[in-house]
Amino acid sequence: MVDVIVFAVAGLIVLAGGLGVVLNSNPVRSALSLVASFFGVAVLFVLQEAHFLALVQIVVYAGAIVVLFLFVIMLLGVDEVEDLSIEPLSGQRIGGLLAGAALLVFLLGGLFLSGGDEGAVAVTGTESVTQPIDETQPNIDNLATDLFGRNVLAFEATALLLTIATVGAVVLVRNAGAEDLSVDEPGRADH
Amino acid sequence: MIPVALLAAESAAPAPFALLPSLIAVPVLTAVFIALLPANRGDFAKAAALVGSTITGAISLFVLAVFEKGDPGFQLVSQHSWVSSLGLSWILGVDGISLFLVVLTGILFPIAIVTTEAHHEPKPYYLWLMLLMAGSMGAFLALDLLLFFLFFEVVLVPMYFLIGGWGHGERVKAAMKFFLYTMAASALMLVGIVSLAVLVGRETGVPTFDVRVLAENSDVLSHTAALLIFLSFATAFAVKVPLFPLHTWLPDAHTEAPTAGSVILAGVMLKLGTYGFIRFGLYLLPEIAHELAWIFLTLGVVGIVYGAAVATMQKDLKRLVAYSSIAHLGFIVLGVFAMNAQGLTGAVLQMVNHGVSTGALFILVGWVYERRHTREIALLGGLQGVAPIMAAVFTVVMLSSIGLPGLNGFVGEFLILLGAFSSARWWAVVGVSGVILAALYLLWAYQRVFHGPVSGDNEKMSDLKLSEMFGIAPLIALIIAMGVYPKPILDRIEPSVDALVAHIGQRVDGFSEQEPEPVAPAGVDELIATAEASGHGGEAEAQEAEEGAE
Amino acid sequence: MIALVAQDTQTVALPGPPVVWSLLWPFLILAVGGVLLVTVTSVVPVLRGRSFPAAFTCLTALASGLSLIPVWQRVDRLDLVGGTIGSGTEGPRSLVSGAYAVDGFTVFVTGVICVSVFLTALLLDGYLRREGLDGPEWYVLMLMSASGGVLLASANDLIVSFLGLEILSIAAYVMAALHLRRAESQEAGFKYFVLGALASAFFLYGIALVYGATGSTTLQGIFAAGPNAAGLDPRTDSSLILAGMALLLVGFAFKVSAVPFHFWAPDVYQGAPSPVVAFMASGVKVAGFAGLARIFLYAFQPYWADWRPAIAALAVLSTIVGGLLALAQRNVKRMLAYSSINHAGFMLLAIHAAASPDDGGQRGAEALLFYLLAYTVMVTGTFGVATIVGGRGDGRHDLDDYRGLSRSNPLLAGVMAILLFSQAGVPFTSGFFAKFRVIGALASDGSYALGGAAMLAAVISAVLYLRIVVSMFLIDNGEAHEADHEAVDAVAGGRAAPEAEGDTLVEASPEASVLTSVRAPAPTALLAVCLAAAVTLVLGLLPDLGGGILSDAASALLLAG
Repeated sequence: MVDVIVFAVAGLIVLAGGLGVVLNSNPVRSALSLVASFFGVAVLFVLQEAHFLALVQIVVYAGAIVVLFLFVIMLLGVDEVEDLSIEPLSGQRIGGLLAGAALLVFLLGGLFLSGGDEGAVAVTGTESVTQPIDETQPNIDNLATDLFGRNVLAFEATALLLTIATVGAVVLVRNAGAEDLSVDEPGRADH
Repeated sequence: MIPVALLAAESAAPAPFALLPSLIAVPVLTAVFIALLPANRGDFAKAAALVGSTITGAISLFVLAVFEKGDPGFQLVSQHSWVSSLGLSWILGVDGISLFLVVLTGILFPIAIVTTEAHHEPKPYYLWLMLLMAGSMGAFLALDLLLFFLFFEVVLVPMYFLIGGWGHGERVKAAMKFFLYTMAASALMLVGIVSLAVLVGRETGVPTFDVRVLAENSDVLSHTAALLIFLSFATAFAVKVPLFPLHTWLPDAHTEAPTAGSVILAGVMLKLGTYGFIRFGLYLLPEIAHELAWIFLTLGVVGIVYGAAVATMQKDLKRLVAYSSIAHLGFIVLGVFAMNAQGLTGAVLQMVNHGVSTGALFILVGWVYERRHTREIALLGGLQGVAPIMAAVFTVVMLSSIGLPGLNGFVGEFLILLGAFSSARWWAVVGVSGVILAALYLLWAYQRVFHGPVSGDNEKMSDLKLSEMFGIAPLIALIIAMGVYPKPILDRIEPSVDALVAHIGQRVDGFSEQEPEPVAPAGVDELIATAEASGHGGEAEAQEAEEGAE
Repeated sequence: MIALVAQDTQTVALPGPPVVWSLLWPFLILAVGGVLLVTVTSVVPVLRGRSFPAAFTCLTALASGLSLIPVWQRVDRLDLVGGTIGSGTEGPRSLVSGAYAVDGFTVFVTGVICVSVFLTALLLDGYLRREGLDGPEWYVLMLMSASGGVLLASANDLIVSFLGLEILSIAAYVMAALHLRRAESQEAGFKYFVLGALASAFFLYGIALVYGATGSTTLQGIFAAGPNAAGLDPRTDSSLILAGMALLLVGFAFKVSAVPFHFWAPDVYQGAPSPVVAFMASGVKVAGFAGLARIFLYAFQPYWADWRPAIAALAVLSTIVGGLLALAQRNVKRMLAYSSINHAGFMLLAIHAAASPDDGGQRGAEALLFYLLAYTVMVTGTFGVATIVGGRGDGRHDLDDYRGLSRSNPLLAGVMAILLFSQAGVPFTSGFFAKFRVIGALASDGSYALGGAAMLAAVISAVLYLRIVVSMFLIDNGEAHEADHEAVDAVAGGRAAPEAEGDTLVEASPEASVLTSVRAPAPTALLAVCLAAAVTLVLGLLPDLGGGILSDAASALLLAG
């Protein structure tokens, strides 16, 4: 029962943080709302007894990444307040709202109506449907076994992914530099 | 050189060498050879095309010579597995039904090449013609349903380029229309072919597209399946023929096509439709063909009357010939769906006849256009005076097209009407009117173009050159020979037709009841003999005399 | 292998999973090749020239392709050591603790991706020279993207699938935007990135839901969680699974540009550099289809009756909408984008048939594989010709830019005609047999109506190929526009092409109108398109690839069923 209550509270924090990110007109507040959301997620990890993950969530996400965000926001100018009354694409908010609502209905339906004969598998706050984590070993050991054992390929593939991201980022921001060459115009046949 | 290359492809054939594959391979190799020629030497390309097509024609005549007269089955069969995982095999063979279409293809192509000129870019022009020849040969020879479809579809590409690249007026539009019409119609045929093979293969356990196997086992299909498959085939063939409501591509394609294209289109490619009806309609799915015969009889008859009526109203000579094709093909369909020996024999013969005479007509119209740069009937007139030889040739060809006794057209039409009369009386009665209308529009056109006073530019028109006379002479000879003595041809067609009719009789309940009696081969000849004896035979001779005089 | 320091400072040995390196070579060569290229060219600036990276990429693709031969032999002999799933004869044989599947299907798809990389590298060479761009980054990104594609096709675990998909896509986003001087290119890259990221989000959410429902991310685990016992209804009433499958399908549908998730394709294809489009349309799409096929035909096989109708709907919509929308276009790259949507429909139909429990299944899987190969070659060649015709600046993609190509460069026009007719499905080309196999599989499955609809859509799409052919061969003077428009009107029932400004065309003599880049294209690019046309013709004459490769590879995909 305690589980359910903690889950509900943490879930609400996550949601509120998420809404705060979207609804705040001041980017700094948005970034701080994100931190709140990350903390909620960390609590959820603790609930699943994944203490190491909870720690990483706070150190890496709430610590490093959000700080990076704040740096960027400060560099761009903290006074930039976006005028929310202007819609760049007319009707996009309504459309987004509808699409989001549709997805919500779809997923809630999936969560609450599933299970067939055995009854609904709704939110229970119980631990994950996979086998319980080996309690005899420290959490980090479990994680390492999983990461470097079963999922080692995925782990290594992530390295490749990061390499690509780095190469791509460097290439795209590099100054094109080269001289402008003459261009063959489309639809014109006379040069 | 060429036979050696082919010997490798054919291992154990009854013929001295791979006779039937060479009919396809020689034009293909010629096309490859042409592709390697320098682009600025059009005369080389034409010479190569002429040699290649003549060799192919000679091989087709050799096939005719070695063809066993009394054998109703497929002869000179060349069978190899090709894509065994798909059940696709390379099976070629001729029987009495396809034999003369093969020969017709072999003869018409060299004649079309010799009698016409490519006005620009001769190299690709002859290349496409050679590929067209290979494709047409393949379609008539294929005994594998899928192989047939491959050839049936692939001929669209060269024809598309010929019409679009070397045609007149709205050539691009006509070419697009031609390609898309035919492709749309045969799209569903592919589904039909595959479904047929799958459904039959499920029963027999061996997936195959071999027409002979499919025809023997197609009775395992449910009625609905057979009906749908037949309809998918029939749509493709009906567009190709073309049958009445689906004919609208033909006048455009014919009119805008270059002369050689029109000759081949009318002479060879339209026959793919009627041949398809016989081989892949009647033979493969006789029950449904019999059940739906009334539809096709009706459409055929409508085509006869409609084609003739519209032809009468044409102001353009080439368009007139194009519409006359619709009428003539209507006759052939009437004969096919009469579904008896006379009707089918007549239909097969008439396919050849139509190829010869309409091919010749298109060549003549092409010559007129080359000289006068118009095909408007109103602008022509009195050509007989300035071009008497052309007028004479035109007369013979026209009379053959009308169906004058003693010329080839008569034999086919007579047999068709005879056959239709015994199994589909009222359709035949309406169909007869087509003969009268044909006389009307062709004679009228002849009168307007060749008779009357010579006026304007017409005075300067030159008569046929010697080379042109040599070019068209084989067709004139065929027109007369087939009209006077069709027996050798009928002797070869009939056994296969009889076998087909027997196959239908076996499969369709109560089929033989409506047929008066199986007609022995001799019976047909007697009928023709009677017809010729009754006073018409003399006209042909008079015609020949007239030709000689001029 | 890896040592960890535990709480009481006692060293705990962590044994990694057994890895059969020799079977990973095809993947590793591509991935390491990419990393090596970026390293070497950074360290040795001399090698940053234009020839070395292209040659290196071609050789890498070739090496990866050749390394498939021993893998194929080993797979065929079934003598695999290393981790296997299930009883060893069932399910894909796999490596690295079951994350990476090595079977005939993987080998085949890897081969197809290598073909795509090889041809695109040749195209890129000519393109970069013409555009005055340098930099090995294009090749680096392509090699890495290809390795991601191989990973996606070989993934035996949804996490690995996702990573493969991301490696594949992110490199492609960057490549689309890589022509830094062209705003269109940047815009295309951005569009591709945003929509691709959305698709990835769907994909990831789908993985989460499936994991939640089945408790496993491995394909084997998901399969085992399903009602796969004989006699059970092949459906599920678990909405969690259904929602997960739906989201995964949406993610894949974005990647393979199936209608109604196709909106990005025409814009991106139009804006991105042409050789990159060649790779996007071939390699990226092939990998997407491979992943889709493996996940759905294997992991979700127990629920085939649930997802099959969705695939059928996507397929029919793609074939028809792809064909119809192409009619209104005048930009060749846009037209080809719609044509690739049409092809995607056909490949989805093959997957539909492959899900069939009877003999349509095997034929469907074979049809899919053959289609992937034929399509890759065709589409790379076609966009290759578009690259050449595009001229400097890569902007000449209007139908009118193809006018008179048969005179200015008959070889190029002939090659394009072969490729276009093949795409239209004319006999004796690979395109015909690709479509034929799909129709055959559908007929074996009893889905005649789907086959009929697909063939009619193929005829509609034939119009677009014919219009390009008309431009290249049949039009050389002022009648261009009228004739073309009328031709379209004739088939589209009076539907007029929207552009009317074509009348302002400059009439020039044929000689003057020919660009140097078209008259004398880069030899490497010409080689690529000629190779593509040749393979298209050879596959049209030998559509069973001369052996049982196709059927072996296909049955590997279906072992689960």
